[in-house]
Amino acid sequence: MTALPNLKVEGLGISLRSNGVELVTEASFEVQAGQIMGIVGESGSGKTILSLALIGLLPAALKAHKGVITLGQHQVRLSDDVAHPDIAHSLAMIFQQPQSALNPTMRVGRQLARVLIARQGATRKDSVKESLELLTRVGIREPERTSRMYPHQLSGGMCQRVLIAMALVCRPAVLIADEPTTALDVTVQAQIFDLIEELVAETKCGVIFISHDIAAVSEICDDIVVMFGGQTIESGRKSEVLSSALHPYTRNLLRSREVMEESTTSEIINLDLPGCRYANRCPEVHDACSHVPDWVSVDETQGVACHLYSKGENVAPR
Amino acid sequence: MSNKVKAIYSWIKETIRGRHLLAITSTSLTLLLLVGFLLPLFLADPRDTNPENSYLSPALGNLFGTDKFGRDVFSRCISAIRLDLLVGISISALAMVIGTAIGLISGYRGGLIDRLVMQFTDVLLAFPGFLLSLIVVAVLGNSVFFVMLAVTLSFIPYFIRLTRSGVLVQRQLSYVQAARMSGNSSWRVAFVHILPNVVGPSIIQATLVASWAILSVASLAFLGVGIRPPTAEWGVMVAEGASDIIIGKWWTSIFPGAMVVLAALGFHIIGDELQASQ
Amino acid sequence: MMRYLLRRAVSTILTAIGMVVVVFFIVRILPGDPAILRAGPYASKESVAEISRQYGLSRPITAQFVDFWSRLLRGDLGTSMRTNVSVTPELLKRLPASLELSFYSLLIAVVVGIPLGVWAAVRQGGKMDRLVRLLAVLGSSTATFWLALVLIYLFFFRLQWFPGPLGRVPVGTTPPRNITGFFTIDGIIARDFSFVAESLWYLALPSFTLAFGLVAPIIKIVRAAMLETLRSDYVRTAFAMGLPRRSVLFVDAFRNALVPITTTLGIVFGYMLGGNIIVENIFSWPGMGRHAYLALQNNDLDVLQGFVIIIGLMYITLNFLIDIIYGLIDPRIKIGAKSPT
Repeated sequence: MTALPNLKVEGLGISLRSNGVELVTEASFEVQAGQIMGIVGESGSGKTILSLALIGLLPAALKAHKGVITLGQHQVRLSDDVAHPDIAHSLAMIFQQPQSALNPTMRVGRQLARVLIARQGATRKDSVKESLELLTRVGIREPERTSRMYPHQLSGGMCQRVLIAMALVCRPAVLIADEPTTALDVTVQAQIFDLIEELVAETKCGVIFISHDIAAVSEICDDIVVMFGGQTIESGRKSEVLSSALHPYTRNLLRSREVMEESTTSEIINLDLPGCRYANRCPEVHDACSHVPDWVSVDETQGVACHLYSKGENVAPR
Repeated sequence: MSNKVKAIYSWIKETIRGRHLLAITSTSLTLLLLVGFLLPLFLADPRDTNPENSYLSPALGNLFGTDKFGRDVFSRCISAIRLDLLVGISISALAMVIGTAIGLISGYRGGLIDRLVMQFTDVLLAFPGFLLSLIVVAVLGNSVFFVMLAVTLSFIPYFIRLTRSGVLVQRQLSYVQAARMSGNSSWRVAFVHILPNVVGPSIIQATLVASWAILSVASLAFLGVGIRPPTAEWGVMVAEGASDIIIGKWWTSIFPGAMVVLAALGFHIIGDELQASQ
Repeated sequence: MMRYLLRRAVSTILTAIGMVVVVFFIVRILPGDPAILRAGPYASKESVAEISRQYGLSRPITAQFVDFWSRLLRGDLGTSMRTNVSVTPELLKRLPASLELSFYSLLIAVVVGIPLGVWAAVRQGGKMDRLVRLLAVLGSSTATFWLALVLIYLFFFRLQWFPGPLGRVPVGTTPPRNITGFFTIDGIIARDFSFVAESLWYLALPSFTLAFGLVAPIIKIVRAAMLETLRSDYVRTAFAMGLPRRSVLFVDAFRNALVPITTTLGIVFGYMLGGNIIVENIFSWPGMGRHAYLALQNNDLDVLQGFVIIIGLMYITLNFLIDIIYGLIDPRIKIGAKSPT
């Protein structure tokens, strides 16, 4: 079987249509097939709209004004502001509140079958059979009984499994999971993590795992990307980022290991400030920080956007 | 130009910004009301009959034509503005005041009082359309006062429900506890502390209710209930002119009816715009 | 589901009883000697006394109340002052005419209103949306009596496209055998298709008039409900899973919007029940509304009372039916609480 392609995002920028204020200034990363990449960031960092832009579901008020996405042979320039179904169709996404993500007036089995019919052209009869198989594959023990139920009759964990099953039907090259376990309790979270890891091993798809919780990300992910103020500020292998984080923000994050609740608004990031957006919170801020830092590749896998590491600076990473 | 005038001018510009439709409609309605008060002083007496001039089509001398009795339709329409608009506004204001007070008390007290009020509201709302007002006026008698009473009664439930749901939300909030702890009596807590926070939606609803009230009063008058001839009221005029349509004299009923629609439209647009800008 | 239905049933019965009691008291307790009211302002003292005795109006109110209820439960709504005939059969005889008019008005309003509301929601902010909202505002502010006259003038007097306000069928036409009372249905059953055509032709103007007022709230609620469902998580998921747009709009967005839409349809229909009295009057439509209008002119309180009670009960029953439908549509009510997993 041909290996699934990598997803590469370069220089993605998203802004408001009305006044051009940039919500994502510069996002770049690569998701390897068979790898789980985590995007960590607090609310307002742009991580969710980033994923919506990839899958083509940006709300009408926003538009991607720059950036290139490459998936295998397909490449799209986002500034063209047209739909990119070739790429979007190879992506699947699951969201935070699993129960409200399912149609409340339709039995879950039929919802799954519907995706099978639409995406794989299955017949009515086959879709029923296949949906039962899929439910078993995602770890649901009584598929017939479950498929006859409505979403409100199922637990959050089961709903999320159903959604993962639906995502699988789309045979995605990359599965985007936006805070998939935040609304679930810890034991269920572990089960969902196991499920995702199994499926990655089986299908060799890539996963983008978005979260504000660095602990969750460090558990499941192979690579980590850190976002702040609409910019990817650091990336690298999990081991590298966790043990030798480069950016002051990442270090702060790891040091305090605070699980940032999405609801606590640390001072609203001022999107109009010129220069590095972390500047007014950064302990290492200096003159150069009035300019936006460029990306620096520290080695093959690790990179950072911070003036501390720009060429010509002699500040060694601590 | 003096600074004061400039300041007023820029305040007006700022308030209007983005809300052009609201500004235009409010100004138009106010102008209409002014016209209703001032213009009749310059026009012919609306009750003047002039049988030789009956059924003149609209022309420069009689902008809206004349009716079967030779009365000038235009001056009758204008003289009716005061009555229709003020009655509509009063009904709405009255219903708002009474309904809000009841809803406030009911929502705050809860318990048996609340349940009784709710059942009572349900019963009042069980009367479709304006049938409730119809039967109340039919029994009470035909006068402006009774019409106002009847129509107000049919709109009170809307305000009760609206205010009550607002109060139920506010009741949970901490400032209410604080107010109670500080030794304020229940009345003070309800009317001084909670009321300002729930009255907003009621005011918006009041503009819509004004629109419906104008329609209700005119409809009742059309049916011959409430305000009756020879009082110049738009609904009455339409009723008198309705049979003229068959013989092609449309101006005796269409113009007064159009006034009703315009007035109701005005209030409705204001209400909608207020709701949208919330 | 059963528990929900039971609760709604109890509430409905209480409201119905309350409504009837309120009507009773309005007609009897409000100021004004009820006997004089019925007799009219020109009656002599003897006739007033006679009426008072005949209708038992001088008896204590509690006795009248008991009497009223015992008669009501037998379906007796009193006797008409004007015609001296029992109220109930006179009103019920005219019910089909009113129902047929209401039915077609609602049909037009729904067929026009629902697609427009959906369209406006899907193209939110666009030209269509603004136009549709304008239509809704116009519909809510237009006086039924005025619109009826405008339509009659334009389409009958001027253009001669539709017949004049002379009732349900041309004078002198014999309707087919009365099975449902609906001329259009009875006509089809009797295979008298020209009769069906005539009936529809006469139905046109009055039902358009009523429909115009109905379209407005329908558009508003459909648009609002659709906007809400379009913003939901499950619609977003459906798009994310690559389901075809039309399917998502219909099965996910619209199907779930039906829940608030059906509840509003009840209110909308009820609003129309009151408007019938005006339209039937203008178009000389031989329905309950016109009968009530004549009663109104003649201070025939028993007929009026009967009219309000019948319409009120119809409205309350309709809302109860809608509660049932709502329970059937929304599985969260039909099936209820979560089963343990």
